Amino acid sequence: MKIENKWSKITGWFISRPRLSTFIVFLALLVLICPLVLQRYEIIKENREQEMSNILHVVQQNLNHSLKNCYTTTISLAMIVNDNGEPENFDALAKVLVESNPTIDAVQLVPNGIIKYTYPNNPDLIDFDILNTKSVREEALETIQKGKIHFAGPLKLKQGGLGVIGRLPVYRKGKFWGFSAVMVRLETLFKSSGINSIKDSRYYFQFSKENPKTGRTEFFLPNKENFADKYFQVLSIPDGNWKVYLISKNKYGLISEIRPALVLTVLFCFIFSLFLTSLLKKPAELQLLVHDQKNKILNDEIKFKSIFDHAAVGIAHVDSRTGCLIEVNDQYSRMLGYTFEEMRNMSFRDITYKDDLEENLKQLERLKSGEIRELTIEKRYIHKNGNLIWVNIAYSPLWQEGEEPSSHISIVEDITSKREAEDAIRKSEIRFKSLFEDSPIALWEEDFSYLKNYLEEIGLIGKNREEVKAFFDANPEVVQKCITLVKIINVNNECLTLHHPKTKEDLIQRLGDVLNNDSMDSFKAQLVAITQGETRLTIDSKVKKTDGEYRDISLRWSVMPGYEETLERIIISTEDITARKISEEIVIQSQKKMESLINTIDGIVWECDYNTYIFTYVNQKAEEITGYTREEWCSDGNFWANTIHPDDKTRAVNYCAIESKKSQQYDFEYRMIAKNGSVLWIRDIVNVIYENGKPVSLKGIMIDITKSKEAEKDLSNSLELVTEQNKRLLNFSYIVSHNLRSHTSNIQSISTLIETAETEEERNELVKMLQNVSNTLNETMLNLNEVINIQTNINLIIENLNIKDNIDRIINIVSEQIAFKKAVIKNNVSPEIFVKYNPAYLESILLNFISNAIRYCHPERNPVIILNSYIENDKTVLEIADNGLGIDLTKYGDKLFGMYKTFHENPDSKGIGLFITKNQIDAMGGTVSVESEPNIGTTFKIYFK
Amino acid sequence: MNQIICLIDDDPIYQTITKKIIHKSEAASKILSFPNGAEAIDGLTKLVQQPEEFPDIIMLDIEMPVMDGWNFMEHFQKIKTIFPKEVSVYIVSSSIACSDKERSKSYNGILGYFTKPVTLQNVLEIAKS
Repeated sequence: MKIENKWSKITGWFISRPRLSTFIVFLALLVLICPLVLQRYEIIKENREQEMSNILHVVQQNLNHSLKNCYTTTISLAMIVNDNGEPENFDALAKVLVESNPTIDAVQLVPNGIIKYTYPNNPDLIDFDILNTKSVREEALETIQKGKIHFAGPLKLKQGGLGVIGRLPVYRKGKFWGFSAVMVRLETLFKSSGINSIKDSRYYFQFSKENPKTGRTEFFLPNKENFADKYFQVLSIPDGNWKVYLISKNKYGLISEIRPALVLTVLFCFIFSLFLTSLLKKPAELQLLVHDQKNKILNDEIKFKSIFDHAAVGIAHVDSRTGCLIEVNDQYSRMLGYTFEEMRNMSFRDITYKDDLEENLKQLERLKSGEIRELTIEKRYIHKNGNLIWVNIAYSPLWQEGEEPSSHISIVEDITSKREAEDAIRKSEIRFKSLFEDSPIALWEEDFSYLKNYLEEIGLIGKNREEVKAFFDANPEVVQKCITLVKIINVNNECLTLHHPKTKEDLIQRLGDVLNNDSMDSFKAQLVAITQGETRLTIDSKVKKTDGEYRDISLRWSVMPGYEETLERIIISTEDITARKISEEIVIQSQKKMESLINTIDGIVWECDYNTYIFTYVNQKAEEITGYTREEWCSDGNFWANTIHPDDKTRAVNYCAIESKKSQQYDFEYRMIAKNGSVLWIRDIVNVIYENGKPVSLKGIMIDITKSKEAEKDLSNSLELVTEQNKRLLNFSYIVSHNLRSHTSNIQSISTLIETAETEEERNELVKMLQNVSNTLNETMLNLNEVINIQTNINLIIENLNIKDNIDRIINIVSEQIAFKKAVIKNNVSPEIFVKYNPAYLESILLNFISNAIRYCHPERNPVIILNSYIENDKTVLEIADNGLGIDLTKYGDKLFGMYKTFHENPDSKGIGLFITKNQIDAMGGTVSVESEPNIGTTFKIYFK
Repeated sequence: MNQIICLIDDDPIYQTITKKIIHKSEAASKILSFPNGAEAIDGLTKLVQQPEEFPDIIMLDIEMPVMDGWNFMEHFQKIKTIFPKEVSVYIVSSSIACSDKERSKSYNGILGYFTKPVTLQNVLEIAKS
């Protein structure tokens, strides 16, 4: 067990870490296989070495062979040197030797180190002293030293090119004779050795010569680079101090051999480990799954437990066979008042109220038999303290369908309060029912849902009010259909009384009859209300009782709360308001009468607020008279003040304010501006209305007195005119009588005196006086005539007269007086000015003023008269200014133009001139004014029309 | 009687006539005359120093230039205090207007109103009173 455990633990560890294990395996495999690879490497290396040494061996053999040849050749050559040191038959032998030895290029005999004989013949070489030539000396000496053949070179040949020379020291008679040499070209050497012919691309040869003395090494083959770091094998040829190297070209040449193997190996390892991974993964996953499942189950268990424990409803796990309570949650025990311990041994039968138990059991049997899969019942439990509680139990079986019943879960909800509420509702419903039935107002309970659906169908819901109204008006058949869609759920007793149907059902059937044309409008209003989504409607309507009598009713239509969407429950109350309507009608009638009465008064009957002056009521006449509509009248408190004529405004407003404070009626007159701009004279009679001792409003009448005011004005104008005329007339007559009278009285007196005259002289005197008087009388009469003529003349000739010219003419006429008084007259009148005037009058006027000015000149100075003309206020003005005596206007101002009024002691002044002049000016429609200062001068201004 | 009568009238003919009549009546010892009210006031003022020249009776016309009768009366009332003697003023006018008559009554210096023509009887009446 232990080992097993350990083993499973280990494997488990591995399994649970697939990647890691993979990696480990990978490494392990790598480690295992590497030696193999290494071995292979070794093998290859060995092979290589073997190969190389083989090649080198071959080369060695060849070289040796060649060198041997050379040696034998040199020996042969040396043989021909006799004891005297003379070669015999050099050429023949040499030739034979050279021809028979392809490797040898040339032979030489070098007695005493001087080349004497060569084959092929090369004259350059003859007499070349080897021993004394520095370049070759060394080697030559070495040969001697060695005592055997020594190959010099490779060195530069005199013949050209590179070659080796093999020298054999020759002794004759025990002493050094010289050398016998063979010359081998380097290429020949190479060729014969097979160095050149190496075909293997993996290696190359290098040939070196080591100078023992200097230690220098020369290389003679291409690729002279350093190959110390490469793999090579060496062949040394002591005969010439040569070394032949066989060098492998690739440093890692070997490695490249094994590279594929290596790659393959790695790949293999990798794949294997991957395979392993996937293999391992499975169990790992499984492990995880198992773990998860375990967790889930755990969680579920916890969840279930918490639900069970903390549910707000009672949950019990019950054994279906015995009825015992296996497990209950807190709520359950709380509900019933027992602890879990107590309940453990109880079955549900113990706690179920006996009246409900039978039914309960019956149902449970059905559940157990499989007839039903779930069950919900309401029953009573007995609480520990003996109270009954109503519960709603839902049973859920824990056995599968078809299985034997094992246990079930009961979910128990305390519905005691709900039941109580239900009871209460039932009770109140009964109450309501009786209220409904016995209400003194007729009540209908109706269902409008079908109607609403129909209206929705025909698309009227939500449309605007006007559209809907119009639609209903235009489609009475739709309205009829709507009536039929209204379902009456219930009507109360009063309703029955009102309509006297035989029975409720009868009424319900004949709703259509109950609604007649007059009540159609109210029904339409209901329809409109529905389309607008309103939930209340109050409307007055008529209804026909079943006996044919019409009654006025107030219909209240309201949707019961909760049914706003469906309109399933609508309460309609119809209250008989016939009596009320009648009295309403009476009131309306009397109001109308009042209104018409007020409107017939030819005046504005108004009422306004005491403080704000806003009109609360004006009658119809207000608009007729002033043109302002009643709305404008009542618009704001400033309306009244704003319509008053600006000239009267302050006076009227102030008067109103002052008088309103007194509690008496008052009236005043002012002008009002009507809407069309015309001016109205108003007589306003105002009353102050008090409520609880405080003034609240003003009431009054405004009467249009424009006509009478105008008449008044005309009258007063006429009166003025007449009075004026009268005055003048009186004046005139007075003057006339006075003046005439003075003369006539004089005549009378004189004639009386003549009678009583004592002497002729006296009589004559008196007669003369009489003559005087009668003359004067005559004159007066003439004057008066003139005046009358002026005043009554209607056919005056009017001409366009040039003022300047006329003045000049007058100046001419009075030229004598001018000269006499040394007067200066300046006529500054513009020649452009013309007036429409009577020529005689103009002449008379000008004459009068000018002669007056001359006559009444100041005694201390010469009269200067200046005539000017200008326009003043659109009127042509002629100004005559003098520097004469002047007139005291304060004393005589009003008498200036009076008749027979003189102011200066001038015998010529009769007092008529200005009077006549004024009359003439007046007759022509102008005026005259005067400014004067005594002793300074006088200025007359004549205003022409 | 030797009263000094003063005529104030602008009509020279009337003055002449009236002087004649007064002569005939022998009511006055002396007759003064002024053509208008202004001169009359001036003259009377000057005569204040001479009481024996001062008139006792004034016969006053109404319609006169420069200063008419009523104006004269105004001034007369003002300077009455400096007069050396009581002067009886009578209005003699050709006006028959009631208003003039009424007006004359308003002046308490005016003792009578006569309309022209003045007769001998009128003068005697004046002189008597």
